[in-house]
Amino acid sequence: MQPVSANEASDGELILRTGNGDRNAFEVLYRRYARSVFGLALRRLGDRGRAEDAVQETFASIWRAARTYKPERGPGAPWLYAVARNAIVDRGRMRLEPAVETPEEVSGDAGPAERAEDSWTSWRIHRALEELNENERTVIELAYWSGLSQSEVAEYLGIPLGTVKTRTRAALARLADLLEEELG
Amino acid sequence: MTGKPDFRDLVGEDLTPEERDRLEQVHELLIAAGPPPELPPALAEPSTELDEPTGLPRRRTGAVLALAAALALAAFLGGFIAGRMNGDNFNSIRAIPMHGVGAARAASGTIDLGQLDSQGNWPLQVKVSHLPTPPKNGYYEMFLTRHGKIAATCGTFNVHGSTATVRLNAPYNLGRFDGWVVTLERPGNNGHQVMLTT
Repeated sequence: MQPVSANEASDGELILRTGNGDRNAFEVLYRRYARSVFGLALRRLGDRGRAEDAVQETFASIWRAARTYKPERGPGAPWLYAVARNAIVDRGRMRLEPAVETPEEVSGDAGPAERAEDSWTSWRIHRALEELNENERTVIELAYWSGLSQSEVAEYLGIPLGTVKTRTRAALARLADLLEEELG
Repeated sequence: MTGKPDFRDLVGEDLTPEERDRLEQVHELLIAAGPPPELPPALAEPSTELDEPTGLPRRRTGAVLALAAALALAAFLGGFIAGRMNGDNFNSIRAIPMHGVGAARAASGTIDLGQLDSQGNWPLQVKVSHLPTPPKNGYYEMFLTRHGKIAATCGTFNVHGSTATVRLNAPYNLGRFDGWVVTLERPGNNGHQVMLTT
């Protein structure tokens, strides 16, 4: 059987390979998760410098601890999330300051459990976005976070409006597949 | 358009109710999650400084890492590690030597590192010798470096004469860097000409 290339491997497979010292697998994990970890760290620490440190610490922890990952206990994403959360909490304690959870518009007066769920959901969504192809990711980012209407997205990208709508719908469908657990 | 994108505008009308419901849930999750942050340049690539995976218990690896970080910081800061009041009323806790490179081979410098203040600033007193007077409108700039690349500025200064002493500031976590450079900056020239390095 042909070995699966690192880019196509599941998170769990990449963690296992990382545990065996495979730097290529580690780099693929980094590309998949660096933005999600950075986003989580920014929300928790509220400071870009400390968030950058937390990302470095998270991936150093992943590199060190990958050997302890047991695939039979669950998929890779929750394991990576737990490592990241621990590294970020440790970073928050380092200056003896409370870790700051900067307000998220959606969380309002949410309690700790709800905030944790929000963090996990954001983590999963940002991770899922990395799975989209570039065309799909671009229309989603422009549609949701640039303030452009679909017509303006079409004009901006120089493509027909119908293509924008097709890509947007395809991207949402792909995200729905990737986020099946969250959609319950 | 401002605020939330309109779901109907995004997907059109020709969806089954089930698919519409599924995609609308994703739509709401995307709005709730907000945009993923852009990675800063320093995080564009993973760190290359990785030991072999050990599987050591977490508490122990944490201690090992903390020790390694402390040693790395000490090596980076170099010089001597004894507080001293220098002759300019600057309370220096570290002295880091710099040497000239390239066209400024004869130059030298010392960075006196002051006590970290409560706002996260490291005061610096930089003494340089034999740096040439910059060309018209030129100036010197001090940077922290990481992996040999310029990473963060600590301020600018000028020199007229064989020696100069200037006060600068490093409002950063110094553990994230591994060196310092002083560069010659010329208006209209995008490059940083390194003159002094640690």
